[in-house]
Amino acid sequence: MSKLFTIATIAALVGVGSQASAADMVFTSWGGTTQDVQKAAWADKFSSQEGVNIIQDGPTDYGKIKAMVEAGGVTWDVIDVEGDYAVQAGNNGLLEKLDFSVIDKTKLDPRFVTDYSVGSFYYSFVIGCNKDVVDACPKTWADLFDTAKFPGKRTFYKWSAPGVIEAALLADGVAPDKLYPLDLDRAFKKLDTIKSDIIWWSAGAQSQQLLASAEAPFGSFWNGRLTALAESGVTVETSWEQNITAADVLVVPKGAKNKDTAMKFIAFATSPEAQAEMAKGTGYAPTNVDSSKLMDPELAKTLPDQQTASQINADMSYWAEHRDEIGERWYAWQAK
Amino acid sequence: MVSLTDTASYTRGRRRPLLRLGNFGLTLPALLLIIVFFVLPVLALLVRSVTEPVFGLGNYAELLGSATYLKIFFNTFVVSGVVTIVSLAIGFPVAWTLAIMPSRLASIVFAILLLSMWTNLLARTYAWMVLLQRTGLINKTLIALGLIDKPLPLVNNLTGVTIGMTYIMLPFIIIPLYGVIRKIDPAILQAAALCGATRWQALTRILIPLAAPGMISGALMVFVMSLGYFVTPALLGGTANMMLAELIAQFVQSLVNWGMGGAAALVLLVVTLTLYAIQLKLFGTAGAGGR
Repeated sequence: MSKLFTIATIAALVGVGSQASAADMVFTSWGGTTQDVQKAAWADKFSSQEGVNIIQDGPTDYGKIKAMVEAGGVTWDVIDVEGDYAVQAGNNGLLEKLDFSVIDKTKLDPRFVTDYSVGSFYYSFVIGCNKDVVDACPKTWADLFDTAKFPGKRTFYKWSAPGVIEAALLADGVAPDKLYPLDLDRAFKKLDTIKSDIIWWSAGAQSQQLLASAEAPFGSFWNGRLTALAESGVTVETSWEQNITAADVLVVPKGAKNKDTAMKFIAFATSPEAQAEMAKGTGYAPTNVDSSKLMDPELAKTLPDQQTASQINADMSYWAEHRDEIGERWYAWQAK
Repeated sequence: MVSLTDTASYTRGRRRPLLRLGNFGLTLPALLLIIVFFVLPVLALLVRSVTEPVFGLGNYAELLGSATYLKIFFNTFVVSGVVTIVSLAIGFPVAWTLAIMPSRLASIVFAILLLSMWTNLLARTYAWMVLLQRTGLINKTLIALGLIDKPLPLVNNLTGVTIGMTYIMLPFIIIPLYGVIRKIDPAILQAAALCGATRWQALTRILIPLAAPGMISGALMVFVMSLGYFVTPALLGGTANMMLAELIAQFVQSLVNWGMGGAAALVLLVVTLTLYAIQLKLFGTAGAGGR
């Protein structure tokens, strides 16, 4: 009996193994609700349309990408990464150039297109506030940094990435068109003033938990997380005042085994329909300029691409160039 | 049933020729495994730590010369030390109670202990986050009871890390302690009482010395595990008391600076092995529980 069981187990494992090796492509993203939507809106549809088998993997890990490319054992084909990382990784030879004869970039938001990457979706850092627990909500970055007017804990994104430093400088009165090059000394000085009132969020779900539980009644959030939270019944107020945008982008690591399929997948994922589906599911904006025509106008109004009047573009090439030095300074400041 | 002597003679009869090849030959497969899965990766780490971004000891100099990184080392030791002490203080009475419980009841308590140990670590850590936050169960209860007016800051700081990590480490100290305490003959305590020892004297002069091997191996295990702990400090702690594992993760995942990450990891490894060597030298036990 036990021998039979062993044989069955081995057979099952072999079965699983051969299924995995029959995969035509591996898509890697950050997990959570965003990847769920990426799977539904892109991968599943692409699979059934092209008869291609797509394995989901994650979370995205920059250390792992470097290790895979250097070791020559690349198991990921398309990866969702942050825009500034893509620029840096492209310069460092970790990425394949995208094939724009397959991917139509004429309708893609040019802010998020480089030789190595195209926008996956784009989000804004906005000010979110739990209206159930406070009388007044901060509207501007200056408000969010004003502990006298708005006492209590505020939450910010923990990792070194475009968003918080820009917010600090805007709060300190720097004009949006004078943000870059970033005045780090000034930004950290401003951040010092609220350091003891900051609770850091390291993942989107955590930011929602902090806001919903009023552990931090306000802070800086990815807009899509606030939309989702509002749908769950929390009275969330979102201020789009000087919302800071950045995009996630799709890249193909150098030496990807299924490069051709990867290009086709990216072409599909950035098509107007797929981008509209993605936006519907996540509350993040499409990177294809034709997508909003395909969407419910009421919904389209809530997305970052409709908030361009008060929008500030995080400068990806600046960040790519200074990623390492800002990062080291950022973490050192946090740990101080 | 094969009797003990039968087994012994059987073993002797069969193994002798092999043994002549030398004990070394027999350990070869294990040695190979250690080389492939431990020595080679550590060597790779060592090479990276002295070659990236440039050749030399620059990474180590930066790591050990910066006040911020030194503070992270310091935090790591303080947190690990506090967690070890608190775990011992809570674990000892628990292990003692388990040892003197009727065995059926003890096995139920053990099952609970193991179940909690096997529950997903992330789920348990998030559960603590929910319990400890301002609007969490603990603060709400304390406020409702009128014990405090304002919620206590129990999470996103050292308090949160200590509570969460102690909870996770407790089984690792209770199990070796239980093994040692159970072997202590209760008659010894009776004898001590008959000879006029107070309860305190019985505890400090008889029980604790006899349980020392279990305490030491448990404490070492908790301390070493705490040194490299990642999930709980990252989620329940604030950035001001960041621990080394989180710094390594930042270097590797976020900054893609493997040189610094490797250097930090190696420093941690050296500290761990040193502690282990000290314990072996002083107490001659390798953390396998008392004898």
